[in-house]
Amino acid sequence: MNAHQLSIEQLKEKAREIRKDIVILNSQSPAGGHTGADLSQVEIVTALYFRILNCGPDRITDPQRDIYIQSKGHAAGGYYCCLAEAGYFPKSLLPTYQCADSKLPGHPVRHKTPGVELNTGALGHGLPVAVGLAIAAKKSGSDRKIYVVTGDGELTEGSNWEAALVAAHYHLDNLIIINDQNRLQLAGYTKDIMNTDPLDEKWRAFGMEVSECEGNDVSSVVSVLESLKANGKPHVVIAHTIKGAGISFIAGRPEWHHRVPKGDEVDRALEELSHG
Amino acid sequence: MDNREHLADVMVERLISAVNRGVDLVPVVADSTSTAKIAPFEKAFPGRMINVGIAEQAMVGTAAGLALGGKVAVTCNAAPFLISRSNEQVKVDICYNSTNVKLFGLNAGASYGPLASTHHSIDDISVLRGFGNIEIYAPASPNQCRQIIDYAIEKVGPVYIRLDGKALPEIYPDDYIFVPGQIDLLRQGHDITLVAMGSTAHEVVSAAQSLDQEGISAQVINIPSIRPCDRAQLAQLLADVPLVISVEEHNINGGIGSLVAEVIAEQGLAVRLQRLGIGDGEYAIAADRNDMRAHHGIDAAHICQRAKELLGGGACV
Repeated sequence: MNAHQLSIEQLKEKAREIRKDIVILNSQSPAGGHTGADLSQVEIVTALYFRILNCGPDRITDPQRDIYIQSKGHAAGGYYCCLAEAGYFPKSLLPTYQCADSKLPGHPVRHKTPGVELNTGALGHGLPVAVGLAIAAKKSGSDRKIYVVTGDGELTEGSNWEAALVAAHYHLDNLIIINDQNRLQLAGYTKDIMNTDPLDEKWRAFGMEVSECEGNDVSSVVSVLESLKANGKPHVVIAHTIKGAGISFIAGRPEWHHRVPKGDEVDRALEELSHG
Repeated sequence: MDNREHLADVMVERLISAVNRGVDLVPVVADSTSTAKIAPFEKAFPGRMINVGIAEQAMVGTAAGLALGGKVAVTCNAAPFLISRSNEQVKVDICYNSTNVKLFGLNAGASYGPLASTHHSIDDISVLRGFGNIEIYAPASPNQCRQIIDYAIEKVGPVYIRLDGKALPEIYPDDYIFVPGQIDLLRQGHDITLVAMGSTAHEVVSAAQSLDQEGISAQVINIPSIRPCDRAQLAQLLADVPLVISVEEHNINGGIGSLVAEVIAEQGLAVRLQRLGIGDGEYAIAADRNDMRAHHGIDAAHICQRAKELLGGGACV
C-alpha cells in the first residue's frame, strides 16, 4: 500500500509544491543543475510516490516494497524534492544539494540518500538492473513491481535494448518502463540528434505492451498506471512531457538542460507556480 | 596420477554445492553455457539460471538487479567480454552500487591462445584494481579455487574471480587454508624471489626447481588475493632477497608486477624488480599457451634464463 494515497486534486497540489522546491533547490545549488529534466518528470514521480508505489519512508528495506529506479539520474534534483516531500528525509536537506560531500549529490547515490534504490547518472543502466530486480521478484514469488523512468534521449543507449529483449523473453509483466518523452536532450532536439520515433512501434516490436499518457497531467499518468494488468508482457508507458514543464520561460527551451534559475527568474517562477 | 582439473568445472561444482546448502544463487550467462561448462548446474536446477543471450551489458546489469532483489548473483562468461564489453556496468552496477554479485572471468589471460586478442583478457586485473571496493582473486590450483569460490559466495559484496582456461594441477597441500589477503610462500629461497599470480604459479615453481639444480636458491611467492592484499606480509617476504621477478599472464602494467613495484617503492625496500608479462604496448601473440608464453618470456625456461641473466650467470638448461 502507498503511504500517501493522495487524490488527483491533492496530487496536483503536491506536484506544484515539488515544482517550487525544484526552483529553489536549483537556484541555491553551488554546481548548477538539470532544471528542465527535473520539471519534466514531476507528475510521473508525484503519481508514483504519492499514490501508485507500494512503499513508504518507513519501509525502505521492506523486501516486498515496490522499487522505483531513476534511470535518468541527472534529474536527481527533482527526484530529491519528491522524496523529501514524501518524507524520506527532511526538506531541510534540500539546500545541501550538490554541496561538498552532501547526502544529495548531483546524481543519485543509494548509500547517501534514504529512498534512493540505485546509483545512476551514466545513462542506460536503470533498465537492465530493473530487469534483474523483476526476475528476482518472479523467482521469489513476490508481487512487487519494478518501475523505471528513462529519458527519451537516453534510449539511444544500446544497453536499454539488450535489456528489453531480456524483459520480453522472461515475460516480465511486473516491470513498468516509463519513458519521459520530453523530446529534448543535452545538445538539442532528440529528433535532430538521433530520432527514436516511432517509439511505440519499436517497443511493440520488442514484445512490450505499450500505453501512452500526458506526462504532465497527473490524472492521465495515474489513469494509465492504474489500468496496467499483468498479461505476460513488460509494460511501457510513453509519457508525453515538456522539458521544464510548469514554468513558462523554461518549458520547451533546450538551453535549460543544465541551467538553473537565478535572480528575478526565481521570483518569476515561484509567482507562476503560486497561481496553480 | 594426473590431478589436473579445469577451474570452470570447479566453479560449477561449487555453485551446485552452494544451492544445495540453501544459498539462493542465480547464475547469469550470456550464451556462455559451454564456456562456463554449466550443464550440470542446469540439470540439477532446471530454470534457475538466466541466459540473457549475447549481451554482456544486460548480463551484468541483470545480475546487479538480481542481487538487489535478494539473490546471490553470479555471472559466468569469458573474461574479455565481461571486463571490456560491460566495463561501465561492472564499474557502476556492481562496484559503485556495491551489489552482491560474483563475477567469474572465465578463460582469462591469453587462455584462448590462437583465437587472438579479442578473446584475450590481459587487462582485467589492471582495470578492476582501478575500480573501488571489488575484491579480486586469481586462484592457481583446484584446491585454492574451491576455497576462494566458497568464500566469495558467503561474502556479501562484489567479487571478481579470474579463472585460467586450462586444466591446472594441484600445487597446494591438502591442509592448505585460503585466507583473503594472504600471500602464499610456496618455496623458501635467498638468491632471488619469483612472484606469480594464478596460473603462472606453475611456471615459477618449475623455474625455481631448475634454478635449484644449478645452485640458485629461489623464493617462490604466489599472490591469489590481489584485493585485499596483505602488503605488510608481502613487503616482509620481499625485503631480504635482493632481486625479484614478477610473472603474470597479464599486461605488465597494472597487474601483479605493478602491485609488487608499489610495495617495494612504498616500503623503501632495497630490491630490484623485473616485471615479466605481456610487455608495455603489446598484445599477446595468437598462439597456443606454450608458444605464447615462450614468446613473451613467461614460461619456466625463460623465467629461469632471465633470473640467471639478472644474477650475472649463464643460460639456464
